[in-house]
Amino acid sequence: MHPQLEILLELQDLKAQKREMEEAAEESSREIERKVFRVEPEDAIAQLQAKIEEMEATLEPEVMSRYGPIAQARERAVTPVLDGLCYGCFMAMPTATVRTNEELRWCENCGSFVYYVD
Amino acid sequence: MELREFFSEDVINLDLQGETKDSILKELITLLALNEKSEGILYKMLKRRENLGSTGIGRGIAIPHCRSLVVNRLRVAFGRKKTAVDFKAIDDRPVSYFFLIVAPPLEVSNQYLPVLGKIAQLCREADVPDRLAKIESPAEFLELLDEKSV
Repeated sequence: MHPQLEILLELQDLKAQKREMEEAAEESSREIERKVFRVEPEDAIAQLQAKIEEMEATLEPEVMSRYGPIAQARERAVTPVLDGLCYGCFMAMPTATVRTNEELRWCENCGSFVYYVD
Repeated sequence: MELREFFSEDVINLDLQGETKDSILKELITLLALNEKSEGILYKMLKRRENLGSTGIGRGIAIPHCRSLVVNRLRVAFGRKKTAVDFKAIDDRPVSYFFLIVAPPLEVSNQYLPVLGKIAQLCREADVPDRLAKIESPAEFLELLDEKSV
């Protein structure tokens, strides 16, 4: 796997975790974490944000220049590709595209970095 | 939706060998049969979740869980360690029973939280730790889930 893609994947997972901690609905992950696991949501959010910033600082400038605007505009800067479909925009990836995570690729339609799921 | 639907014999290990929290997490991940790179990423995410607070909920049970792009659908696994290990659980007791839950961040069927909640509910039942201790085969674990109808 491309090392920068690995960082992007981890960033995406961390952001998903942080987003869930921020949801205040009664049946939310935040409430399960608080009630079942006794995690203090605000502490968790602060820890996750610190880790996100630490990892974003390790992105190469050319990766950051694409990632930054996408990450600001929408929740997912990295999307999985399943059965040839980008799950960011649900458009088909070009059939000529080689299915590999060894290179850093993005969807030509929505601009998200893509990750090919086994 | 019942928990039984998500488990199969190949994601159950009644004889975990790990002696530490980290090695137990790695062993649980292998039950999901991912590639090596995905296993590594998932391990890091589970560790990060554990760093927010242990998923050891007491009475010898832990529920390591996270969302990760390395899976394309909700995945679960169960592991048992005969001699309990320190998992920094909320009651400070060592842990023998491990329910692993992983789901992708984008999950159309939205099963992650209900499944997490159902496992927590199952684990609160008074007889569950003893029953988990006495199970002798993966099939018996599945029968327990059937019986509990959670």
